[in-house]
Amino acid sequence: MTTASAKERIRNEKKARQHVRIKKGKLARREALAGLLFVLPWIIGAIVFLAYPLVTSFTYGLNNIRITPKGYKFKYIGYGNYTQILLSDTAFLPDLADYVISTLISVPVIVVFALLIAMMLNMKIRGRSFFRVIFFLPVIIVSGPILGMLTEQNAGSVSAIDTQAISAAIGSFLPEILAKPVSGLFANMVTILWYSGVPILLFLSGLQKIDSSMYEASYIDGAGGWETFWKITLPQLKNIVLLSCVYTVVFVSSNDNNTLIALIKASMFSGTKEKGYGYASAMAWLYSLVVLLIVGLFALILTTRKDKYEKEARRTDRELRKEARKIRRVQRRQAKHAKRYQRT
Amino acid sequence: MKKILAMLLTLCLLLGCCGSLAEGTDGVVINGITYHPAADMTTEPITLTYFHFDQDETVQLLADRFMELYPNITVNVQYENVSTYNSTLLTLVSAGTCPDCIMFSDCDFALSNMLLADISEYWDADPETKNLADTLETAGVGTYMTNARYAVPVKFFPTGMYVDLNVLEALNIEAPSRNWTWADMIKLIKDATVLDSPDGMAYYGCGYYNRLDSYYGIAASQDIIGEFGFDGTDFDLGVWAVGEQEFSDLKLGGYIAPSTETQAMEDWTDDWEAWCGATGHVALFTEAFWTFQNTWNTDEYKQYNLDIVPYVVPAVSEEDASGVHHTIATIDFGGVSTSCEHPREAYELIKFMAFGVDGWKTRCEIYNDETITNKSGLPLKHDVMPCPITKDQDVWNAYIDMFCKGMDEAHVDCWREYFASCMQPIPFGWTSIAGYWNYCDEYFNSIGIHDLVDLGKAKAADYAEEATLKANLYHAQAMLDYFGEDGYDILTEEEVAKYEQMVEDNSI
Repeated sequence: MTTASAKERIRNEKKARQHVRIKKGKLARREALAGLLFVLPWIIGAIVFLAYPLVTSFTYGLNNIRITPKGYKFKYIGYGNYTQILLSDTAFLPDLADYVISTLISVPVIVVFALLIAMMLNMKIRGRSFFRVIFFLPVIIVSGPILGMLTEQNAGSVSAIDTQAISAAIGSFLPEILAKPVSGLFANMVTILWYSGVPILLFLSGLQKIDSSMYEASYIDGAGGWETFWKITLPQLKNIVLLSCVYTVVFVSSNDNNTLIALIKASMFSGTKEKGYGYASAMAWLYSLVVLLIVGLFALILTTRKDKYEKEARRTDRELRKEARKIRRVQRRQAKHAKRYQRT
Repeated sequence: MKKILAMLLTLCLLLGCCGSLAEGTDGVVINGITYHPAADMTTEPITLTYFHFDQDETVQLLADRFMELYPNITVNVQYENVSTYNSTLLTLVSAGTCPDCIMFSDCDFALSNMLLADISEYWDADPETKNLADTLETAGVGTYMTNARYAVPVKFFPTGMYVDLNVLEALNIEAPSRNWTWADMIKLIKDATVLDSPDGMAYYGCGYYNRLDSYYGIAASQDIIGEFGFDGTDFDLGVWAVGEQEFSDLKLGGYIAPSTETQAMEDWTDDWEAWCGATGHVALFTEAFWTFQNTWNTDEYKQYNLDIVPYVVPAVSEEDASGVHHTIATIDFGGVSTSCEHPREAYELIKFMAFGVDGWKTRCEIYNDETITNKSGLPLKHDVMPCPITKDQDVWNAYIDMFCKGMDEAHVDCWREYFASCMQPIPFGWTSIAGYWNYCDEYFNSIGIHDLVDLGKAKAADYAEEATLKANLYHAQAMLDYFGEDGYDILTEEEVAKYEQMVEDNSI
């Protein structure tokens, strides 16, 4: 076979393959188009309501902006807003520190509370559905204004708890930076626990997915409730714990009662020339970064690590492959030496 | 004959339909009020938007009357609560739907966003503005120390020092002179404080809503604008510090009645939520002007056996006190927005709503009709009713008749005298001095001076020097920002140099 005919054959085969691919592609394209049509609303929503505002707010953060009846007045100031927030703003950093500490304290409290309630609601008790509704109700009615009214009327705390005495006790042994958020936890016990509606729901769904045969097997092996909780329930809910933590962090960080949200809003509408939308955008970006770091921290702590045996198997596999490569290298070298020996 | 009768009937019907609207020789008469509509207004159909935080029902009725006077103008009234007012207004501005007329409280918000148009042309040409309280011109109120006018007073609430004559009688103390001085007031507060009273409940000299230091600066000097010793260019918080210290000393000395929701109030009245104004055991109140009409002058409060009469805020010197002197007042301002396409008509609208004689005659008519109520069923007279800022005697007669309805002659005289004595108002600084709100928001309030001095942990005078430097800095920077080349661009080179020098001199 000549080279030309071989080339022609390859070309024909390629064409034939292309032909087949075109036919397959039409179907695939149709399927892809249908898929795209289904996700198009989401893509449009994400572009219009997520990507565009994100890009806009970032560019706002680099400008000094005044909104006048005759239009927006932009003045590019680079990272001026950021440096001013970090170096001159007397409220942002202290409020941010309070927020970080209170979030790190309140999120585990909310999640643990939600887990306990979910486990109770998962038991076979009379009126289980009614109790589930009761615990989910706050999610429906806990909107900004209602929460604000509760706080205004000092209904954010359990009246049986002597919050003043607790604050005084906490303040006596904790430094101020820690005492304030810890005291705040007791002072806003009701509102904090109100945040647990969705995590309860998540845990309930997680609990219902755990295979009951695992519990049966463990009971046969003599395990009690305590052991099954630590060895079966909690490991099985690890992903839900992470999800609940992320949800709670986002919820706590973005609700109207958050002091930083109030600060950002106040900056947006401040009469100070250097504040306004640009300054508020920069503040919001810094705040978002901190929220992301907190989410990352919880993810780092709670992300499911690989199984110990799987890890060991992978390590052995890696070592075996390394050994095989070494043997092949030795064999190649031996073959090379053998050839050289034959020539000589 | 039938035809003539039919024509006569039709004529009567037409006249009846026209009702009370009839054009007189020198004005239009509606409901017995003679109006003088402006002649130089457009005849084209236009719409004006009035954005406000005033009493909504009143404003809506005023707008209806304005539209009767100018049938080609449609007034679209938009009410917004004070707490969300600025954010809603800025949202409207950012969406390109800025209202034509706006109210505002802190001037920094309005000036930094260049919301207010220069209305000097209309203000200067308007003869009615010459008959307003003198201080609007002499203290540059609404001009922000520039040569242009941006704002007009919309709601004027003089400051009242309310004395309970029944308490004075119970304590056998003579009522102070109408021309009392600051020292007389302090003496009254001290004399009327009787902690071991025979009836078992302590009497206090003063119950406060506004702190006395807010009043002191203007009471001390006729040249001062705002609470912090501002003379038109520079601040001097040394004057404020005297009043601050005096008030804190009164608090520490036990002469000031406990505040609501405090342990002291619980101990005094056995009621954590009680208000000192309802105890009948406080001689003097520094309450807001509207407290009289919407609280003490209501049927509910008759049971407390109070006999409240108003006094003007006293001046420090006897010479000032003997005449009509400057007193601090709550004034909410408004203006025409910079994007308004019909500024002449918008000016006439805000004048009608705010300070104009025609508007005030209409207000008196509305307030007089106690069948017109707010959403809570309260007659509008009792719902944060302001005062006229015009000196027009007809308006004042109508206002005092309406205000004092049901009072005896002695009390009417008290009120008449009081109203006459508070017509030299100086607004609070945050509504009338550039940079003042920001200064309070970012510096003054953040260091908690009041609490420190009230608790005796610091002396007010210790803060005066730094606070003065900061106030000057904020003001000078605001003047450059708002009126310099990045803002309205109306400052002369000399003024720019002056404010730049102030910024340099006062930077800490």
